Amino acid sequence: MQTTMMNPRIKQWVINMTRNKRIAHAYLFVGKKGAGKKQAALFFAQALFCAEKNDGQPCGKCSHCLRISHFNHPDVHWVQPEGQSIKIEQVRHLQKEFAYRSMETEQKVYVIEAVEMMTSQAANSLLKFLEEPHPGTVALLLTDNHRELLPTIVSRCQQVPFPPPDQRNLSRQLAKAYDASLAHLAAQVTSIWEEASALCQAEWFAELKELVIQLTEEVAQPSNQPLFLILDRWLLIAPEKDQTDVGLDLLLFWYKDVLYTKLQISEALVFHEERDRLHKQALAWTEERLTQGMTAVLNAKRKLQAHVHPQLVLEQLVLKLQRRA
Amino acid sequence: MQLVIDREYLREAVAQADKAVSSRTTIPILSGILCTLTENEFILTGSDSDLSIRVTIPREIDDNKVFKVGKLGSIVLPAKYFTEIVKKLPEGQVEIEVKDQSIVHIRSSHSEFQLNGLDAQEYPRLPYIEENKVLTLPSHLFKNLIRQTSFAVSTQESKPILTGVHCALKHGELKLVATDSHRLSQRIVKVETDESLSFENVVIPGKSLAELQRILIDEDKPIEVVITNNQILVKTERILFFSRLLDGTYPDTERIIPQKSQAEITLNTKSLLQAIERASVLAKDGKHNVQLTSAEQTIHISSNSPEVGRVAEEVHVNNMVGDGFKIAFNAKYALDALRVIDSEEVKIEFTGSMSPLVLRSLDDQQLLQLILPIRIYENV
Repeated sequence: MQTTMMNPRIKQWVINMTRNKRIAHAYLFVGKKGAGKKQAALFFAQALFCAEKNDGQPCGKCSHCLRISHFNHPDVHWVQPEGQSIKIEQVRHLQKEFAYRSMETEQKVYVIEAVEMMTSQAANSLLKFLEEPHPGTVALLLTDNHRELLPTIVSRCQQVPFPPPDQRNLSRQLAKAYDASLAHLAAQVTSIWEEASALCQAEWFAELKELVIQLTEEVAQPSNQPLFLILDRWLLIAPEKDQTDVGLDLLLFWYKDVLYTKLQISEALVFHEERDRLHKQALAWTEERLTQGMTAVLNAKRKLQAHVHPQLVLEQLVLKLQRRA
Repeated sequence: MQLVIDREYLREAVAQADKAVSSRTTIPILSGILCTLTENEFILTGSDSDLSIRVTIPREIDDNKVFKVGKLGSIVLPAKYFTEIVKKLPEGQVEIEVKDQSIVHIRSSHSEFQLNGLDAQEYPRLPYIEENKVLTLPSHLFKNLIRQTSFAVSTQESKPILTGVHCALKHGELKLVATDSHRLSQRIVKVETDESLSFENVVIPGKSLAELQRILIDEDKPIEVVITNNQILVKTERILFFSRLLDGTYPDTERIIPQKSQAEITLNTKSLLQAIERASVLAKDGKHNVQLTSAEQTIHISSNSPEVGRVAEEVHVNNMVGDGFKIAFNAKYALDALRVIDSEEVKIEFTGSMSPLVLRSLDDQQLLQLILPIRIYENV
């Protein structure tokens, strides 16, 4: 199984920093899903704790390194969202950890995944600790959307931008095992190998792809009947919220492709096998309406995240695309 | 690892170690109990990272063989299942055997369990005792010290350092202080130890001490206390207790304790305690205001809750020096303080109606309880 390679630049940065012992109290790792933030956080912790470092590089074999990679190190604390958010209790637990001295060594590391999912109480409570850092304590905050964070949190961390993962490489790897066009599409939706290969294997993903294209064809037609049949089918094959979200991503890619076709940028097409249909649709849309359409899809995605029922989201989106609402 | 052990000893030890295991741990390995078999001891360790309990079963107790060693080694067993299994096993001998790295077979007469163990390498390392830095004192004394101070720790997480008891050793005097910034309790005892051994700013979490108090037995046997960088260790005969210390600097409490007093009274501890208990009956909504007014040979204790009613009572004073006084305080703090003063008589030192009230045990003047007063509004 292939996992994403750690970015060499980030790796060198961590090594230099720990070697020179110039470590800030808080870092914000910003990067897309699959950019290797979690991996980098593990590496960072290992570089701090490893007892047998070789030229600044953690050995990965000593008891510190092993326990860090298994999330069993008593001085490295991981916080992950519980359900939909990171709750105040979880931050309280961290606060208690700060009040105590560390267990084995003189330093503590805490890693918070998906910081943007903190509730506002949790975020404010965390803020207090970013404001008054304890010596020997390092915070690693991971996020793929730092614009949703409190600006006061962002300003108290050193930001570390992660370059986006290499999609071409991923899609090439996936294409070896799965259908090439699906692999290409899956690599666009997610850049995490496990998720992408799960998509390639899923029947609903392939069917949803076809359904999305059908939907774009029918939206232009005057009759609504086939549209509702498509939506029914959509909800039947993709009953989960996350699946609808993937479907909306596909729809977004489609309209982006239509726009690119219109602008005659053909290299970056996602649905490059559907050139004919893209051409046909490109004639029917104006650039302005295409951007409006894409905004509508983005809004639909947002509504879905805010727990609006998928069926309502889709129906409203279709009406928007038809300019009826 | 392989051994055959008497179930009774195992059950007792597992139950002790399990006390430290928390079901809500964020570190997966801490959901387990670490079992280590050496030539002469079978050691069980439980931990929630704040406190850890290590129970040692010696191979022989009073010339009775407790266990037979098959193969040395160690393994981590999931605490939830391990304790249940051991509890429900029939009496007699239990065989524990680790096969294929981490599959643990637990056999007893006709039953056999297979439990998935975890790698012992993953378990946190606990500090070792350095023999030259050991403080030895009787078990009952340490238990008492905890009882007499730890109730005063703060329960508010906003000042985490105050949730612990401050411990310091200097010139053979061990001092424990706890305060929640409304009251303070302190006791100093002489301990027999190497003069060179000293430490300060050791703050032990109140929660850990509550657990330790339960473990310590009220007996004369000595226990050993060791302070390391991060942890305190308390060693009894079979149990080794570890607690992480609190991080930060404990405030200087010496300055708070008044050096001189305007008035001093001594009176019977029990009768004062009971009088205040009665006076606090009328306390409403947690406002336990009780007023103390001195008179000749007596003190008046009164409490007034306008909506409920009022109460007044007199307590005989055995001895009184200095001026008359009037002071109000929270009855709950006074009751907590009086309950841990074991002497028959208590001495109260008054330094002004807006200065702390000091209660001392007459048998042991180094046991001190300090309570901040409440402002009295004369027109009420």
